[in-house]
Amino acid sequence: MLVEQLINGVVLGSMYALIAQGYTLIFGVLDKLNFAHGEVFMLGGFVCLASIALGASLPVAILVAAIISGLLGLMIEFVGFRKFRSPDAHITAALSSFAIGLVIIDLSQKVWGAEPVALTLPGTLQTATVSIAGLNIVVLRLAILVISLLLMFVLYGVVVKTSLGRRIRAVAESPAKAALFGINVTRVNQQVFFIASAMSGLAGLALAVRTGYANTDVGFTFGLKALAIMAIGGMGDLRGALIGGLLVGVLEALAFQWGLGQLADVFVWLFMIVILLVRPAGLFGTLISKDVRA
Amino acid sequence: MDMAAQPILAVDGLRKSFRGLTALESVSLEVRRGEILGLMGPNGAGKSVFINVITGLYPSDGGAIRYCGRDVTALPSYVLARLGIARTYQNIRLLRRMTVLENVLVAIKDHASQPFRSLFVRNRSGGVAAAMALLEQFHLADKADRLAGTLAYGEARRLEIARALAGKPSLLFLDEPAAGMNERETEELAATIRTSHRLVEAIVIVEHDVAMMRGLSDRLVVMDSGRKIAEGNPADVLTQPNVVEAYLGTDGADD
Repeated sequence: MLVEQLINGVVLGSMYALIAQGYTLIFGVLDKLNFAHGEVFMLGGFVCLASIALGASLPVAILVAAIISGLLGLMIEFVGFRKFRSPDAHITAALSSFAIGLVIIDLSQKVWGAEPVALTLPGTLQTATVSIAGLNIVVLRLAILVISLLLMFVLYGVVVKTSLGRRIRAVAESPAKAALFGINVTRVNQQVFFIASAMSGLAGLALAVRTGYANTDVGFTFGLKALAIMAIGGMGDLRGALIGGLLVGVLEALAFQWGLGQLADVFVWLFMIVILLVRPAGLFGTLISKDVRA
Repeated sequence: MDMAAQPILAVDGLRKSFRGLTALESVSLEVRRGEILGLMGPNGAGKSVFINVITGLYPSDGGAIRYCGRDVTALPSYVLARLGIARTYQNIRLLRRMTVLENVLVAIKDHASQPFRSLFVRNRSGGVAAAMALLEQFHLADKADRLAGTLAYGEARRLEIARALAGKPSLLFLDEPAAGMNERETEELAATIRTSHRLVEAIVIVEHDVAMMRGLSDRLVVMDSGRKIAEGNPADVLTQPNVVEAYLGTDGADD
């Protein structure tokens, strides 16, 4: 049924958007891609799994996943980006973050194996449905959608309205100028990595809870898709990541609706190519390069 | 300790060279509380290098910088900014994609040590009020919501000074604030600097404009070839033979 597929698409899209927002936030501020971002997403699912296995309730597991993912982000910032500040260090930072991602995958597989691990929550949360306008919708999916949108709304508010947000935007415009304004650029980078990684981990948790599995493969596929979403939405733009994520989620759902599920990934990449041909900077991007003079 | 007698900044034997080229050759000077100190000299005299070393942009090769009695020689620029040493740049450096108000808000002190509390929008209204008051004094209040990148040159210069003052510094360095300004704009600037002087303990101005320096400075220091060649009240210093000679050679050509 089309409407149900669309709802599934929006829910999937909200998880895409959540991981893409962190990706794009880091890119917007540091002008560098964090290729370990997808693996933070992946690990979020396993942290949830481990917390539940240790007897934690879901809210506690969510909190633990957010904190551990955030701390992992701090580690990635320190190991993969701290030394590679120069605008010329794109490739070094990309490679080192890529390497960190591979290490995370490898260690996760050592602990949990390469096969998907079932994640079953106590109670009926994963199966309970609610009937809205004649449609049976899994409550969990609605919750994921609402919480994801809420998190993104809060992040946008923080960036636009708060003093932390002003510092983030100042560093995004020019780290050198931000330092002149008395801003500790390293501290802002850490804050950005913590926030972005916590969001990514929560998105991974949402995926694991929704599908009922934690899987060491998902970081790579979702990480790549988040890259496509960033490009579609406009690199470094939070609104672009949200809209791009939802569009890609819906597109995949439609592919399934039309019986072309196996081509869903192809659709996403073709969609990205078309968008970039029409708007090279993405939907919201301006291709304004960072002010590197000051 | 007698605070009034202690200079706000004491520079002793400051040295800096770039790949063997000496830019500063043992420069010593004091900035006293309450004064506007003018720093003049022909191009290449080392004025800008001097400011850049003091404000932590370049490391020094020797010598000591004491600020309010504290050794600050090796501190990075953002720490110095927090300690109360602010500066402006010859080429204006504003956050062009942020609003006029935000440029001041970012620079307002109080965010520094509260990484997470700042998330909760605390202090925000207080910060905005202080920032608006500052913009008011610099005749920029009506442009608070414009992007800084859209300001006219004179306005951008005023905003840069307001921004530098937002952190409530004690010591303000102005690096060629009149560069590229016509006579009328320069007069307005002098008024802006006098306004600024009420808000800080001391100002150091690097400038070529002799008339402006004579009118504004309490004391003048003249540099040439990385050395201090004269120091004293403006009227005396500007008639010293070695100062006249240093200036005749290059005749105040701007860089």
